[in-house]
Amino acid sequence: MKKSFNNRHALIISKDYPQANFTWVLSLAIAVIFLWNSFSTKTDGLNPVVFTLFCAYTLTSIFQLFIARKMKKDLLDTGEISKMTRRLGYVQLVSLLTGNIFTAAFAFNLINKRKTPEYTFAVYMLLTQIAVLAISSVNLFKPYVSDTFLIAMGILLLFALFYLVVLILSVLYVNEYSAPRWMSILSIVLMVTAATGNLFALLLGWSLFMKSRRFDSSRLMKWNVMWEKITRNSTAVLGMFFILLMLVISITSRFTFDYALAVENNYGAILQAPSLAYPFGTDNFGRDVFSRIVFGARISLLVGLASTLLPGLIGGFLGAIAGYYSTRIDNWIMRLLDILYSIPGILLAIAIIAAFGANTVNLIIALSVGSIPTYARTMRANVLMVSNYDFVDSAKALGASDFSILFRQIVPNSLAPMIVKSTLTIGGAVIATSSLSYLGLGVEPHIPEWGNILKVGSTYLETNSYLAIFPGLAIILLVLSFNFLGDGLRDALDPKLD
Amino acid sequence: MVLNIASLLQKSYKENQPKTMVQVLLFLAGLPVHLVVYFIYLMKKKDQTLIAQLDGIRSELSKKHCTDQWHSEYADQLVRKRNFLQEDVSDKEIHKLSEKLAGNRLEEEILRCTEEYLTQNRVRKETYSVYFHSLLKRPEFLLYTLLPGALMYALLLLFSNPFLTYIAERLVQSVLVIVGVAVLVFTILYISPFDPASNILGESATKEQIAAFNQLHGLDLSYWQQLWNAVKGIATFDLGTSFAGNEDVATSIANKFPVTLTIALFSVIMAVVIAIPVGILSATRPNSFLDYSFMFIALIGLSIPNFWQGLIFILNFSIKFNWLPATYSPSNHLSMIMPVVVLGTALTASIARMMRSSLLEIIHEDYIITARAKGLTKIQMLWKHAVGNAMIPVITVIGLLFGGMLGGAAVTEKVFNIRGIGSYIVDKQFIPDIPAIMGGVVYIAITISIVNLLIDILYAFLDPRIRSKINQS
Repeated sequence: MKKSFNNRHALIISKDYPQANFTWVLSLAIAVIFLWNSFSTKTDGLNPVVFTLFCAYTLTSIFQLFIARKMKKDLLDTGEISKMTRRLGYVQLVSLLTGNIFTAAFAFNLINKRKTPEYTFAVYMLLTQIAVLAISSVNLFKPYVSDTFLIAMGILLLFALFYLVVLILSVLYVNEYSAPRWMSILSIVLMVTAATGNLFALLLGWSLFMKSRRFDSSRLMKWNVMWEKITRNSTAVLGMFFILLMLVISITSRFTFDYALAVENNYGAILQAPSLAYPFGTDNFGRDVFSRIVFGARISLLVGLASTLLPGLIGGFLGAIAGYYSTRIDNWIMRLLDILYSIPGILLAIAIIAAFGANTVNLIIALSVGSIPTYARTMRANVLMVSNYDFVDSAKALGASDFSILFRQIVPNSLAPMIVKSTLTIGGAVIATSSLSYLGLGVEPHIPEWGNILKVGSTYLETNSYLAIFPGLAIILLVLSFNFLGDGLRDALDPKLD
Repeated sequence: MVLNIASLLQKSYKENQPKTMVQVLLFLAGLPVHLVVYFIYLMKKKDQTLIAQLDGIRSELSKKHCTDQWHSEYADQLVRKRNFLQEDVSDKEIHKLSEKLAGNRLEEEILRCTEEYLTQNRVRKETYSVYFHSLLKRPEFLLYTLLPGALMYALLLLFSNPFLTYIAERLVQSVLVIVGVAVLVFTILYISPFDPASNILGESATKEQIAAFNQLHGLDLSYWQQLWNAVKGIATFDLGTSFAGNEDVATSIANKFPVTLTIALFSVIMAVVIAIPVGILSATRPNSFLDYSFMFIALIGLSIPNFWQGLIFILNFSIKFNWLPATYSPSNHLSMIMPVVVLGTALTASIARMMRSSLLEIIHEDYIITARAKGLTKIQMLWKHAVGNAMIPVITVIGLLFGGMLGGAAVTEKVFNIRGIGSYIVDKQFIPDIPAIMGGVVYIAITISIVNLLIDILYAFLDPRIRSKINQS
């Protein structure tokens, strides 16, 4: 009786089992979407490519469901997942060939019982690299590729192999608090490869560096616990994966994609339906929509990040001052910010753009100004709370100046909610960017930006609806990823903030 | 009756004594009364014995040679302090300092003695404020000054009730914020590098034409004059004519505002009707499959850009299935469904998430555990104690998001070709038509301020926690 109770408890606290369920549901949902799209309403025919994808995803989902059942049985019988079930993960890894990142990520998770943060970083680093290679290799079907394509692809492939080696090494040699000394060289090389935008490599490199250099254990424990909390939330990691994937693509697309295909008119290929050469079709000037979306990621990320960072800094500073020097200064700053707060962000942005014209820099400024009060409020609330802590009193007793107390003690300790807040609002900034572009008030029309592509697409809604659908999906995926990551960070760093 | 009011006024006057801002306000409001009363006060003060008393005590104290004694005491203390701390202080400085300290002490002593004397002889120290206070007690004074002091009495009555004070404060705040918005938006548009005259009249416009245009729209005035005109225009609903098309801006805005407001209102209703049950269902079964699915859908709802959702709706429901009209027309009620849903999606998602987290937090509070321990069933507990309290933060969020919705309406209106205030502002910004943009933005900000004001006032009546906070302050 007691044993079965324990096993039931093991099922409840198991982190792998809910993830298994989440994965098969998601995989099946994607399969259904493929099925929905494999029938064309116009021609009444079956799209063979999409239908094959549907079959593959359905098979994967069924296998995933099988694994989930087996896990449940194992947990109820013995209280842990058996080795045989874990080996099924190797089979499930094959689903990576169909581009099913979710099952692949789950499979990696299942194979290894002992999950250090390094393992998770290494897995996602490798997955990101593979995804970038897959997306870039679509260019092979184009009539021509950019001059640096082969070299860039070669380097990316080398990196991918290197990452695979690191993954295996980190499984073999890295444990909770230490790693072999020779790994510090490896970690430095890893951190250098993060220049492609693959920040998982940076995280892994830094983690390995700390462990191989034997940093003190309290620091390592803090690091381990924090990342364990974040990676426990599988949607948060998937969100992070997609954001970093976008980042890598927007950096490497400079070498692997041909910018001319995205901006130069090609009247020989106007409004073509999706094909291998043009995966998302072409627009009314014959420009490749796929390339345009890939280059658009750059602007969306740049504007999104800049219009989060800028008000974060300004608002954070104002909020810190207001929270620390209470009463009069506080009142003045907050009342002035109330004025900004009572104008809806988009309207203020429209007014600013009306006054100064539409271009990327003005767009960033316009979006930033409107969101200063939100950050100031968050920062102020935190500073008010942290100011009451004992360490602030002791700093005062030691004779530290107000300035140094504020910026050395209080602000670093109230940063976590600010980081969470900015991850949660960055998605809004991305939506606002594309909304303004859609209205013709954002980025200049000739630049490939998701809102601009959609604006073109909206005029061909009846005949070429893919022009509007694909850039929209890209926006949703990016925003959704930021929201997932933000939710995960919030749960991990600051459970009270909502 | 009059006596009651008099005591109420007096109490309110006394309570607000420490608040400088209120004092200044009261003084300004009752200026005519104060002028007369102060004059009478001065007349009366002449036969006061206070000053004579003070002089008497002073001379008495100095006769006793107290000062010299204190002086030497202080000097001794200072020398000992110097020796202990081994400070480098000259005798001269010590002498000076002790003299100063002795002087201070003398003043204190005099004041103390006077106070003592006055309380002994039952004579109050008369200041103007005390004098005025004593006057307020008399009903006949109240009757005499009713007309000139009406404003002050009204303020005093207002300040006697914490609720009214709170509402008045919020009102004043809102008005200040609205003026601030007007100044801000006007300034942004004023410092614009574009010249509306040459933009609208075209390249070929002569200097005279441009000058005439500027004069017609008051653009040749100074910044402060233009600002004053703009703020005055907003307050009097007279924004002049638009730069292009020569239409009356206030009338255009008044025509377009109801369209946007109707759609926004329906969206809010839709959001509340859908989101609150969803939030309650999610919170009562946390981490279940239902909860995960709802929250997943809500997160997707938050991540969809309005215009894309609108386009996909048009693609499916208008083009493919031909169920709903793609563009909005006020006469066709069916055409309202899609814009309302699109505008309300993000709001629905936010409210559902907020409701869930707020209810979850409340379910874990001590008083809910007590209610459960008392033997209430889960459903009773939920409806009697939890949902009502959980609604409070949700209503705030609705108020705040309503503003975002009116702003976001611009995009939705463009997609569905609705002639609302949002698309009006967007159209006008291409010119850029300053009075139109300014009017649109400021009136939306005013609407949002009013909505938030109403919600805040509603709270003051409904939430016992806020009520007690107001009463205490």
